[in-house]
Amino acid sequence: MRTAFVKGLTKLMQDDDKVITITADMGFSVFEEMQSQFPSRFINTGVTEQASVSTAAGMALSGHKVFFYAQAPFATMRCFEQIRLDVAYGNLDVKIIGSATGFFANQLGVSHFATEDIGLMRLLPGMTVFTPGDAYEADWATRKAYELSTPCYIRLTKAGSPVVHNKPIDIELGKFIPLRSGKDASLFVSGSLLPMAIDIRDALAKHNVSLGVYSLPTVKPLAKEEILLQAKLTGNVFTLEDHNIVGGLGSSFAEIFAEDRTGVNFYRFGIPDKFTNITGSVPFLLAHNGLSSEIISQKILRLLAINH
Amino acid sequence: MLRKDNVTALERQAKALRRTVLAMITGSNASHIGSSYSMIELLIYLYDKTLRVDPKNPLDPARDRFVLSKGWAVSCLYAVLAEKGFFEKSLLQEYCKDGSKMLGGSTINGIPGIEATTTSMGHGLPLGVGMAISAKIQKIDSRVVVMISDGEINEGSTWEAIMLAAHHRLDNLLVIVDYNKWQSFGRPKDILNLEPLREKWEAFNWEVRECDGHDFLDIDRNINKLPFIIGKPSVLIAHTVKGKGVSVFENRNEWHYKTPKGKDKIIAEKELAK
Repeated sequence: MRTAFVKGLTKLMQDDDKVITITADMGFSVFEEMQSQFPSRFINTGVTEQASVSTAAGMALSGHKVFFYAQAPFATMRCFEQIRLDVAYGNLDVKIIGSATGFFANQLGVSHFATEDIGLMRLLPGMTVFTPGDAYEADWATRKAYELSTPCYIRLTKAGSPVVHNKPIDIELGKFIPLRSGKDASLFVSGSLLPMAIDIRDALAKHNVSLGVYSLPTVKPLAKEEILLQAKLTGNVFTLEDHNIVGGLGSSFAEIFAEDRTGVNFYRFGIPDKFTNITGSVPFLLAHNGLSSEIISQKILRLLAINH
Repeated sequence: MLRKDNVTALERQAKALRRTVLAMITGSNASHIGSSYSMIELLIYLYDKTLRVDPKNPLDPARDRFVLSKGWAVSCLYAVLAEKGFFEKSLLQEYCKDGSKMLGGSTINGIPGIEATTTSMGHGLPLGVGMAISAKIQKIDSRVVVMISDGEINEGSTWEAIMLAAHHRLDNLLVIVDYNKWQSFGRPKDILNLEPLREKWEAFNWEVRECDGHDFLDIDRNINKLPFIIGKPSVLIAHTVKGKGVSVFENRNEWHYKTPKGKDKIIAEKELAK
């Protein structure tokens, strides 16, 4: 996923000399080629996330289009006030790129986990929040963010994550991508748990439950009417994300459903609202938080049984 | 070099602007008159002699940029911009009034000549660094002047930007420290000591000069040629007096918060009379 982003951004830098990449000293073995290709437009600002965001805003005020890259907690949380005032309030052409989101910095602990970043970015008026689920979605998000001249957040994982789609994506901002159709229930997923969503579908198929899977490469904006339409088809809706259950995709859907009074049966799968103070592999940490295809498919079976 | 008659004219302008700012602030129960008065001479000099800006073309990509990092003192900047013709002087009467775009903090919201949203401390210098880097990349001969307060030198983001500017050899950047030796709750020396301030900037590879921030000749002597030296960012530590120009305001931190009223207002009007 990260590789697709870097490739996409490199192409944008080739095509448009207004594009700037700023990294807060992140990207070892990621950005070397870009650095040598664009010595003046690739800037390593050092470990200065707050000043880096303001610097990016200053450059945007002077006509540049700036992509600012760092590990997600430092790209979004360390400098949140700079993003809020300089970038979002200024409605500037700055793209915040957070890498290693969710539990992808799995061994380092909460300092490096990014499980509240979507919520923070979604709070900001005018901020577009991209949550790509694979390399194709990351490529789309990079192109889409470039087309917009407004603030964006792109939530990346790391290089070598599984690819789910089989061709470049071309959708309107805010719309979902249907991956599998299903007549019993709909699972909306955003971000790196996209492959898990497919696994959940396959697990449920063995129990004769037909689960539709829909990927959302943005959490903000959301195509509310289309989502409601799709949700009402089965009446059973689930969301899945590697983010705090508060503030992300699930929260966004809850807001939509509550105000629409649809009466759909709805349940959010995400990271429970508590810190994870152990280490382990990414799948281990996810499962520790109730996020595995086994746990979730069992839970969905129970929920559907109650609903019927 | 400034001539003596230039200085007299500038001093007259400073007195007039102090009157304007007093009227703006008392007209809307606003605050921060001390912060405005401590930089009036510096601002007048910059807009008269330094900045290549055109009120008729305020967004010219090749213009110099002035970033008021201490954005809570924007009343003074509005007064200077109106004087220079960036907008009608009548707009000054809207300062801090209900529904007005003339906010009490420097904000990009359509007021011509305002270059940055600041007022949250420690934003202006890194914003200016970005503008200066952009100018270098685009090979535009545009200079950036950032006015910071002494309190802002507490902020980590200010020090991050100080390192960035020197590392990138931003000789198109001038920082002016309005060193009035007051911050929100008292004196920096009692709260978070900034000294030795000159040596700190020097150690971070800036070219440093100091001046009396209320003396036009001294200001001119120090910044009439920019940069101070090629290849380094410049910083002018301007020693100033908070509330300068009115006896009851000078060096009294209450005027960071209060609106001059009653006897204080009468004294101010009398001392600033033509």
